[in-house]
Amino acid sequence: MSRMGVFICWCGANIAETVDCEEVARYARDLPGVYIAQSYKYMCSDPGQRIITDAIQEHQLTSVVVASCSPRMHEPTFRKTAATVGLNPYMLEMANIREHCSWVHTDRRDATEKAKDLVRLLVEKVKRNQPLYEIEMPVTQRVMVIGAGIAGIQAALDVAAAGHEVVLVERKPSIGGFMSMLDETFPTLDCSQCILTPRMVEIMQNDKITLRSNAEVEQVNGYVGNFGVKIRQKARSVDLDKCTGCGDCWNNCMAQNRIHEPEREPECSVASPEIAAKVDAIAAKYADEPGGMVVGALQDIQEEFNYLRQDALTYLSRRISVPLSRLFAVARFYGAFSLTPRGRHIIRVCLGTACHLRGGGSIADTISRELGIGDGETTPDEMFTLERVNCLGACALAPLVTIDGRYHGKMTIAKMIHLIEQCQESGDTVAV
Amino acid sequence: MTEATRLQTPDDLAALRARVVERRSAKKVCVSICAGTGCRAQGSMELLAEFGRQLESAGLDDVELRATGCHGFCERGPLVVIHPRKIFYHSVQMKHVADIIDKTIQHDEVLPALLFRDPKTKQRCEVEGEVPFYAKQQRIVFRHNGIIDPTDIEDYVGADGYVALAKVLAGMTPEQVCDEVEASGLRGRGGGGFPTGKKWQICRNQPGETKYVICNGDEGDPGAFMDRSIMEGDPHAVLEGMTIGAYAIGASKGYLYVRGEYPLAVANLNVAIEQAKTRGLLGDDIFGSGFNFTVEIVRGAGAFVCGEETGLIASIEGDIGTPRQRPPYPAESGLWGKPTNINNVETWTNVPVILERGASWFASIGTEGSKGTKVFSLVGKVNNTGLVEVPMGATLREIVFDIGGGIQKKRKFKAVQTGGPSGGCIPESLLDLPVDFDKLREVGAMMGSGGLIVMDERTCMVDVAKYFLGFLVGESCGRCAPCREGVFQMHRILSRIVEGEGREGDLETLEKLGNYVKASSLCQLGGTAPNPVLSTLRYFRHEYEAHIKEKKCRAGICKELVQFRIDPETCTGCTLCRRDCPTEAITGAKKEPHRIDAAQCIKCGVCYDVCNFGAVEVE
Ligand SMILES: Cc1cc2nc3c(=O)[nH]c(=O)nc-3n(C[C@H](O)[C@H](O)[C@H](O)COP(=O)(O)O)c2cc1C
Repeated sequence: MSRMGVFICWCGANIAETVDCEEVARYARDLPGVYIAQSYKYMCSDPGQRIITDAIQEHQLTSVVVASCSPRMHEPTFRKTAATVGLNPYMLEMANIREHCSWVHTDRRDATEKAKDLVRLLVEKVKRNQPLYEIEMPVTQRVMVIGAGIAGIQAALDVAAAGHEVVLVERKPSIGGFMSMLDETFPTLDCSQCILTPRMVEIMQNDKITLRSNAEVEQVNGYVGNFGVKIRQKARSVDLDKCTGCGDCWNNCMAQNRIHEPEREPECSVASPEIAAKVDAIAAKYADEPGGMVVGALQDIQEEFNYLRQDALTYLSRRISVPLSRLFAVARFYGAFSLTPRGRHIIRVCLGTACHLRGGGSIADTISRELGIGDGETTPDEMFTLERVNCLGACALAPLVTIDGRYHGKMTIAKMIHLIEQCQESGDTVAV
Repeated sequence: MTEATRLQTPDDLAALRARVVERRSAKKVCVSICAGTGCRAQGSMELLAEFGRQLESAGLDDVELRATGCHGFCERGPLVVIHPRKIFYHSVQMKHVADIIDKTIQHDEVLPALLFRDPKTKQRCEVEGEVPFYAKQQRIVFRHNGIIDPTDIEDYVGADGYVALAKVLAGMTPEQVCDEVEASGLRGRGGGGFPTGKKWQICRNQPGETKYVICNGDEGDPGAFMDRSIMEGDPHAVLEGMTIGAYAIGASKGYLYVRGEYPLAVANLNVAIEQAKTRGLLGDDIFGSGFNFTVEIVRGAGAFVCGEETGLIASIEGDIGTPRQRPPYPAESGLWGKPTNINNVETWTNVPVILERGASWFASIGTEGSKGTKVFSLVGKVNNTGLVEVPMGATLREIVFDIGGGIQKKRKFKAVQTGGPSGGCIPESLLDLPVDFDKLREVGAMMGSGGLIVMDERTCMVDVAKYFLGFLVGESCGRCAPCREGVFQMHRILSRIVEGEGREGDLETLEKLGNYVKASSLCQLGGTAPNPVLSTLRYFRHEYEAHIKEKKCRAGICKELVQFRIDPETCTGCTLCRRDCPTEAITGAKKEPHRIDAAQCIKCGVCYDVCNFGAVEVE
C-alpha cells in the first residue's frame, strides 16, 4: 500500500497566478494512494524542502510527487532532499505544472484542470515505481568499437579524444564502409570523400587507437565494464618458408589488386528503355511547373503502370532531380497511390457518410469475406484489388461500388456476391 | 477553331450571344439528357447514344440532343427534359426511348408514366418546377446546371456567360470589384464562412508583383458532392469567377485543385479551359484590357487534409500535404511564398452573378449574417437524395421534409448531420432552425461544405460518431500530437463502447479529450475533429449510456450489442429475408414464420431492412 505525498509549488506567481494550487492540492488529497497533499510558495527553498522531509518522516511516506517546474530544473534537488531522510530518490517524481501548464496557458480554470491531470498522471506513475540503488563496479577503461564505417570511426575518435584507449575492429581490409562508396551525402549534398578521408587518416595517426582491420569478431562474453572479445585476425602476409606457391591465397584475396567494380543496382530498380520512354513522356508534361508537379507525375505513372513501380520511380527521381525518398514520402502520404501491383479488377467500395449509413460497411465486409482480402490487398491470382475509399461523390447511388471505374449503385450484399461471381466466371468486368 | 473566333471586345461577346440565342430558339425540339455522374452511373450516356441512333433513323435530324450537367435530383436518374415544353421525365430506361421519340417528340404527347408523381397530392408533374423537390429551391449557383451543355462554351455564352467578366474588365477598377463582392455579403462556402470580399482586399493589399488564385475543388467531406456537380456541369462559371477574382487581387495565374476521384470534372474543366483560351477569355489581354490570366488543373490524390488551404498549397508545390501554422495566412504568404487567394468552387461560382446583377440584389437574399443561397447535398436516409439549393435561412424541416420528401420507408427521423467530419448532429427538436453559418455554429454543428446527412431510427449515433472519428484517424496527417494521438484515443474509446466494453467515466473522458484536441490542434482538421462526438454527446447522451450501461444498441447497428429476432406473429413467411441472408442463417418454410439461427447470424441487418411487415426486431 503506497503512502504518497504530493507537494504543489506556487513558484511565486509563476504557477500560482494561473493555477489554483490549493485546489490542486485538495484534488490530489482524494486520489487513491495519496496520503497528504500540500502547496507552498517555493518548494525548492529551504523551508519548502523541509516541508517535504518533515512529511516523509512524520507520515512515513513511501513515495512523493512534486508538482512544480520542469524536472530539468529541480529533479536532482528534490531527489537529494528525499534521500536525506531515507526515501529512495527514485520514488520521487515531478509533475511539470509550470513549463507545461501555467506558462503556456491563460485561462485559470482550464489550467487548473490540466494541472490536476498532470498530477494524477504522475501519481499513477509513481505507484508503479520501484526503489533503485546506485552501485559502483570496477570498469576496464578501454573501449572496443566494432565496425569502422563512418559511425565507428567517429565513435573511436571521440572516445580517444576523451582520453581512453580504443580498439577499432573492421572486417574488411580497408576502413570507411559505405560512406566510401558515396558521392554526396543527404540532405545537404556535401562531398562524401572530403568528410570521410581525413577521419580515416586521423585513425591511423591517433596513438590511443589500435586498428585491427581484416579482422573479425568471433566471440563476445562478459558484461559492461568487463568484456572479453575474441578476434580472428586474417592473414596479411605470407611466411615464405612455409609457402608452397599453391595460389589459393592469390585467388581468394579480398584486396586483389584490381579496380573495384561497383555493385550492380538490383534488377528491379533499373528501368527498361520502354519504361524509361513512358516516364520521359510523363516528366516532359510537367517540365514547366516549378514543383515538378510530383503528385501529378506519380498519378500518371500509376495510371500507366497500374501501380508505382520502383524502376519507374527511380528513373523519375533522376529525371526530375527529386530525391527518391521524397517521391516515396509523397506516395505513402496520399491514399490514392499503391506501391504494390494491383489486380486486374479494382473494386472500390465507397464508405462516404451516405454509403456508411446505407450499409456500405457490410458490402465491404462481404467482399473481404468472399475474396479473402482486406483493404488495399490483392487476391493471390491478381484478379481483384479491394479499396475502401472515403467518398466517390455519388451519394444518390448509395451504397456504391465501382469496379474498374464502372458504377454499381444501390448495392446489396446479394447483388455484390453475384457481381463478384460473374466477374470471376467471365474474367472481365461486368456491365450493370 | 480559328483566330477569328477570338472575342476581342465586349461587343464581340454580345454578338456571339445574340447568334447563339437566335440559333437556339430556331431549334424547336431539344432532348436534354443529364450527363452528371449520378445519371451516367444509371446509364444516361447509353441513353444519349440510343436517342442519337433512333432520331437519326427516324430522320429527325433537326432535333437537338444535348448532354447537360447535373440537375441535382440524382435519386431519380437518368433525367431527360424535352424542350421547348420542358417536359421532365425521370428514371428513363432504354426501352422508353422509342416511345419518347414517337409520342412526345413527334406528336407532342406527354407520357404520364415517366412523369414525377407527387406522393402527397398524387398529381403528375409535367415540368421540373412543379416537382416538390425543386419547388422550394432557389437556383443561383446552379443557374446553368442541367440546362447548358458544359462542354460547349457557346451554350454558356448564350446563357449570359462571361457578361460579368466583360463588365468588370471594361469598366471597373480592382478595388471596385473587391468592394462589390464585400458589399454583397458573400461568405466562403468552403466551410469557414470568411467574408470573400475582405479576403480579396487583404490579398490585394499585399506587396509584390506575383500573386496567385486557387480554386479549392478538393471536396473531401464524405457525403458532399455539390462542388463536383458544379465543376462538371458549369465549368465556365468557375473559370469566370476565378478570372474576375484574379483581376481584383492582381494575379495572373490560377490553379484549380480538383479531387482525384472526380475524373469527369477534370475532363470538363480541361475542355472549358481550352475553349476559353481559344476564345481569348483566358490568356493574354482578355477583352483588350491588358489583363492576362491562365489556369492550370492539379488533381488531388486522396488526402482529406489537402482540402485545408495550407495543406492544399503544399500539395500543389509537389510535397506531402501537411498543413502548417497560420498566420501567415495564404493571403500573405501562400503558394511558393507568394500572396495567394484561395476560395471554394461554390464561392467562385457565385462571383459572376454578383457582378452581373449587383451586390444589393445578392444581399437581399438570405439572412442577416449569411447572404445568398447554399447548395446542400441531401443524403442518407432521405427519400430524395440529391443536391438542393436554398436561400440561407431555410429551415431544416423544409429541406428534409418538403424538398427531401421525408424519411425512407416511412421510418422515424432522428437527426441531421451537417458539416461532414467537422460538423455536428442536430436533433429533431431543432428541425425548425433556420440554416445559416451562425445558427449552425450556435447549436454545435457547422455549415462545412454543405453535406446534410439525414439519419433515421435505424442509425446509431455512437456508430456515427465512431465513423467520423475513424475517418479522421485515417486522414490526420500526423504532424501535431493533439490530433494524431487525441483523436486516436477518442476513437479507441468509441470502438470499445460499440463493442460493448464501455466503462463508467468513458463519456467524461471523451468530453475532456475532445476539448483538449479542439483547443490545441495545429489546423482545423483537429480543431473540429471532436465535433461529431461532442454534439452527439450533447443531444444523444442516452444512446451512449444505453451502450455502456445496458449494453444495448437500439438502432440495431453495433453488432456486438444486437440480436435480431423474427416475431412469429407478424412474419408472413414471404421468404424475402431468407433469400437475402448472406449466411443462410434464416430458415422457415414458405408462408410459415421464419427464424434466425443466432450462431450463423453475422448481424448485417439485411433481414431487418428488407422485411416489409416489420417482423424483424432488434432485441
Ligand atoms: C480539414 C479541412 C478540410 C477542408 N476541406 C475543404 C474542401 O474539401 N473544400 C473546400 O473548399 N474547403 C475545404 N476546407 C477549407 C479551406 O481550408 C479554406 O478555408 C477554403 O477553401 C477557403 O475558401 P472559401 O473562403 O471560399 O470558403 C477545409 C478545411 C479543413 C480544415
